Amino acid sequence: MRKIIGIDIGGTFTDFVTYDPATNQIENWKNLTTPAEPIKGVMQGLEKMETLADVDKARLGTTIATNALLTRRGANVAYVTTTGFRDIPFIQRGNRKAHYDITWIKTRPFVERANCFEIDGRITAKGDEWAPLDENAVRELAAKIKQDGTIEAVAICTLFSYVDPKHEFRIREILAEELPGMPLSISYDVLPKWKEYDRASTTIADAYLKPVVAENFRKMQAQFDELGLGKKVGVIKSNGGEATLASAADAPVQMALSGPTGAVVATRIMSELTGIKNLVVFDMGGTSTDCSTVVDGAEHVTTNFEIEWGIPIQIPMIDINTIGAGGGSIAWIDKGGMLRMGPQSASADPGPACYGRGGQDATVTDANVVLGRISPDNFLGGEMTLDSEASHAAVGRIAKDLGMEVDECAFAMVQIANNNMLGALRAVLLQRGLDPRDFTLVASGGAGPVHVCDLMDISGIPKGLVPNFPGQFSAFGFIMTDARVDRHRTVQQSSKFFDGERATQAMASLVTDAIKELHDQGYTDRIEIKRSIEARYLGQNHELELHFNGEEFNEATIATMWEDFHKEHKIRHGFAIPGETIETVNFKVVAVAVSEKPVMPDLEKTEGKLTAKSTRKVRFKDGWHEVSVFDRADLRQDDEIAGPALIEESASVTIVQPDHRIVVDRIGNLIISA
Amino acid sequence: MKFSANGYYIESYQKCPNCGVLMYANSEEDRKKRVEHEDKTYCSQRCVDWSIAREKRRASAAG
Amino acid sequence: MDFVTMNILDSAMVSICREMGITLMKTSYSTIFNEALDFTCGLADMNGDMIAVADFCPAQIGGMPLLVQSCLKEIPISDIHEGDIILHNDPYRGGLHTPEHTFFKPIFVEGEIMGFAVAIGHIAEVGGMAPGGFCGEATEIFQEGVRIPPVKIVKRGEDNVEVWKLLLANVRTPRVNYGDLKALIAAVDLGEKQMQGIFAKYGKAKVKETVADLLLYSEKRMRAELEMIPDGIYSFDDYVESDGVESDKNHLIHVDVHKNGGSIVMDYHGTSPQAIGPINATLGVATSAAYNAVLHMTDPTIPRNSGCFRPIEVMAEPGSLLNVDFPAPSVGGNTETHPRIVGTILGAMSKALPDRVMAAEGGTHCNFVFGGVDADTKEYFACYDLEAVGWGGRSFADGNSAVDSINGNCRITPVEVYETRFPWLIESLALDTDSGGAGKHRGGLGYSKQMLCVNDVITCSQMTDRHLLAPWGLEGGKEGGCGATLVMKDGEDTWKTMREAYGKASTSRFNNVAIRRGDRVLLRMPGGGGYGDPAERDPDAVLSDLKDGYISKEAAKKYYGYKEA
Repeated sequence: MRKIIGIDIGGTFTDFVTYDPATNQIENWKNLTTPAEPIKGVMQGLEKMETLADVDKARLGTTIATNALLTRRGANVAYVTTTGFRDIPFIQRGNRKAHYDITWIKTRPFVERANCFEIDGRITAKGDEWAPLDENAVRELAAKIKQDGTIEAVAICTLFSYVDPKHEFRIREILAEELPGMPLSISYDVLPKWKEYDRASTTIADAYLKPVVAENFRKMQAQFDELGLGKKVGVIKSNGGEATLASAADAPVQMALSGPTGAVVATRIMSELTGIKNLVVFDMGGTSTDCSTVVDGAEHVTTNFEIEWGIPIQIPMIDINTIGAGGGSIAWIDKGGMLRMGPQSASADPGPACYGRGGQDATVTDANVVLGRISPDNFLGGEMTLDSEASHAAVGRIAKDLGMEVDECAFAMVQIANNNMLGALRAVLLQRGLDPRDFTLVASGGAGPVHVCDLMDISGIPKGLVPNFPGQFSAFGFIMTDARVDRHRTVQQSSKFFDGERATQAMASLVTDAIKELHDQGYTDRIEIKRSIEARYLGQNHELELHFNGEEFNEATIATMWEDFHKEHKIRHGFAIPGETIETVNFKVVAVAVSEKPVMPDLEKTEGKLTAKSTRKVRFKDGWHEVSVFDRADLRQDDEIAGPALIEESASVTIVQPDHRIVVDRIGNLIISA
Repeated sequence: MKFSANGYYIESYQKCPNCGVLMYANSEEDRKKRVEHEDKTYCSQRCVDWSIAREKRRASAAG
Repeated sequence: MDFVTMNILDSAMVSICREMGITLMKTSYSTIFNEALDFTCGLADMNGDMIAVADFCPAQIGGMPLLVQSCLKEIPISDIHEGDIILHNDPYRGGLHTPEHTFFKPIFVEGEIMGFAVAIGHIAEVGGMAPGGFCGEATEIFQEGVRIPPVKIVKRGEDNVEVWKLLLANVRTPRVNYGDLKALIAAVDLGEKQMQGIFAKYGKAKVKETVADLLLYSEKRMRAELEMIPDGIYSFDDYVESDGVESDKNHLIHVDVHKNGGSIVMDYHGTSPQAIGPINATLGVATSAAYNAVLHMTDPTIPRNSGCFRPIEVMAEPGSLLNVDFPAPSVGGNTETHPRIVGTILGAMSKALPDRVMAAEGGTHCNFVFGGVDADTKEYFACYDLEAVGWGGRSFADGNSAVDSINGNCRITPVEVYETRFPWLIESLALDTDSGGAGKHRGGLGYSKQMLCVNDVITCSQMTDRHLLAPWGLEGGKEGGCGATLVMKDGEDTWKTMREAYGKASTSRFNNVAIRRGDRVLLRMPGGGGYGDPAERDPDAVLSDLKDGYISKEAAKKYYGYKEA
């Protein structure tokens, strides 16, 4: 086995982590992202490697899709649907974001109403063709789209296509003929499941992303080809698995949440390595912060994701709560004279005032510079020097408007930013019935370790963990990621009339498809298959997932399946209804090509001689302290440091607040307790 | 609200003429607060006062 | 006050309520539960005061305290044992309307009751005169379904079989009802278990003290909000347009809002006498609507519990439309009269709080209900179909289109679920151009749903509103579009109202119409009223509305001074 590279393209920085199995060495570095051209930062970073000849795999996490959705900079989409139903994306589900908020404004879909079109043709719930597809109307629509000239992608979602997709297939065929090169997404490919709004919304998002993701990936592929890495590149999907660039560009909605998944995979591995079962990861970057949990050693996968409230994207993905607050969040004063932080954020260019690239806005990072928490000389391991004066000037402007001292204002800025981030932690813990006191807070991202003690205190999480390379934690996760394909299909049958042969065939074809997709992408070794069935009592509308062990539906396995359902229903919901008819809804297959995992080397034991490299003044709650500064590279296993203290490393700094202490564990994690 | 002697069914529903709340015959707490005024039973003195004030206010607005 | 524990306990209890709701959503059988989410889960203390609630259906949130307290007046605490579950739906005992079934279970900790887990859910089929519960022409509660006084459906952890049998013999869809009732029981079981965990973690005394503080905290914050509203008496009138029995009679809702310092009184005296038909509100509904209106006008971040309600008082005259006397019908009070009351209060407060109110919203849930025997499965089906409306324009923004009326926060059932479950073919679901009232800030649009009957016969009933009296505008804004229910019989080519087609007294409230194979039904949901003079509307907004088809050229010319280039 040769080198693996993990690359995480964030909004502000592009992170790199390499693992060399020959030496067990892990190296890491980062550089700035050029948001307009993300590949630039990747190429710059790869230049730092002496040779790429011994690289076996490069895995890439990217926020291209996420950002296009969040900033609404995707394609001008046309939506094609069954006659009578073009308003489904606008009517949505009719519910409100909050009960008692009269100021709420309903979320707009990723399509203009003027670009929604209807085609005659109707499939019924039972799969009968009630009305044939009006093929002429499809051709007329194609002509209209051609003449209009502004449409960049087409989303197609007809009623009951999950039962019979023939109308969608035919519409796609005709449009492909008439509009060569036009990106087309059909709902049967994107999300072959019932409930037309959820399916439409996900399909529209897929079309919305296609041109921008395809364009970016095409450029990337060309550049990787030039470097000779073309066949070795994998990109990370929202399910935390790897895919080739070409297959990801075909289904870009699978990329809706790519970059942040690495940190969760890395957190799961951290749980295995440390034996800490419940972890909550807090990955704070420049423009956003991602929170997610690992409970009893497993990450949580959801299909209930909404990119904005009311805009579902229902593909299987790791359950991550993202908020638009990070080191780049900008301070401002609202109409009532109150200091606010974000959600506006300084991106990489020009960035916070301290980057010295002409940015004038005071950000969280500037406040941390003013407070002495971030050293201007040690940013990016000393490769970038921060402009401390610019930070003071920017924070000073806000302070003056508020009539505060500069350091007092910086301190308030950090507190408000912390409180904003607390919301994200609550969303993944308390709001899911999890008690913060049972958790350890994993601080990652360049800014995470700076805020870790503050967040432990205000959230009631008793322990903290700063991993190695906290600034490249997602990229670190990518060196341990597997290739993964999720396939599902609606197969409606009931326990009263269950056709085992049909079920066996359906499951087998899903397995064949999933393996083929992995093979097509070049993943042929160590493939593991997991089969499951989603079922419910006849009449219910939500399903339970049952693992199906075996390949064949015969008398014995079918009987076990129904038994398992009653048992699982009892466990999950507290009761079962013996004798009630059970209905299968979806068959699911997960195919994973397991990759080889790095071995974490043990850190040398301490000799009890740790000394600080320097001291500097840092502002805490009770004023300025002269604080010892340690170099993380000097730390050894079992070293202990009592706060206040700073532990600097190349991409981050851990602030150990007064009344907190750290211990270094076997592999070098900093374990914080209050 | 008055139940039959065996408690199996409701015999009558008694409500405060002002606020409209049900007054339970079997509730000691309800009974203590009740006030008779112009042949009607109110749930509380507050409701009597409110009722009188409303009549006055509406009379003066009309007149 | 220990704010840290209070904060954590509040979040934890709201999470428990949310988990109860998710269990209900995942295990129930009716689409009104698992798709529309017409239910609420909460926790109550020993006095029946609500201590936490999850955001599901607002109508039931405000109704919860009175419901639980009324039951506790009939069943003394000493008669409630560990493992008991009490069921109740009686509108004449603190309830809302017959479909609303309340389940509550005592939370026992070391042999002592510490409070209750509560789930209130809308059961679609409740027996009575019309399948689906909304009997538009009822004149007595007995036609509106089975009336259940507080009874123990589960006794010390064991099903009370006689009660189950009695209940399920009186409804058309016993298999589905059984599933829904089991789901409600699972929800309160979960609530009890989770709360026991909370008590184990913090101790009885600490939880009790913290919960008392939490209610006090909400009360204080609510009073502070109310203090910011100028004192005075604010009045407003609106009408419910018909009761399904007497033709062409409008029923007045009047409110005097007495705002005084940190308290507020909703005095409804002056409202019409109770109607013969089922549009009457119980005191529970009139109270819930007052709470709902106040919560909409105040800071939504105040923790929702009975503390918020302490500064709010309600005066509803017995025998009036807003406090119905036995045995008059009341099924529409909870869905149709409730939003009309909230709108009336918002209208009254529009001068004092221009930034916290809106013009009238569509104010109906459509409440189209139907049932019959499925030609294929031979099983009886029944459905409560709930739809959304246009919301009113606001001083700062247009009204939202297609949003559930203010006393619900329910979801529309997807077409693909609807057709899988029931023998209809939906032909369209489309926003209605020009249904949003013109204004500087336009009202939201309503929409229409057109359905074709694909069963031999489906028995249909409805309880809706705003077919004749349009949603009003504010500050010069125009009225929103009216709703309609139309039928086109197989082989005919004109749409007729229920009055024209079947001789019903009302177009918006009727029951037991036999819709046959090939007949079409069109349900049109009203739009919202506009806010402010349409002449002041941003011309770019007019152009964009035109491009997207939200308004017609005729309307653009008539209201907004649009001239074709």
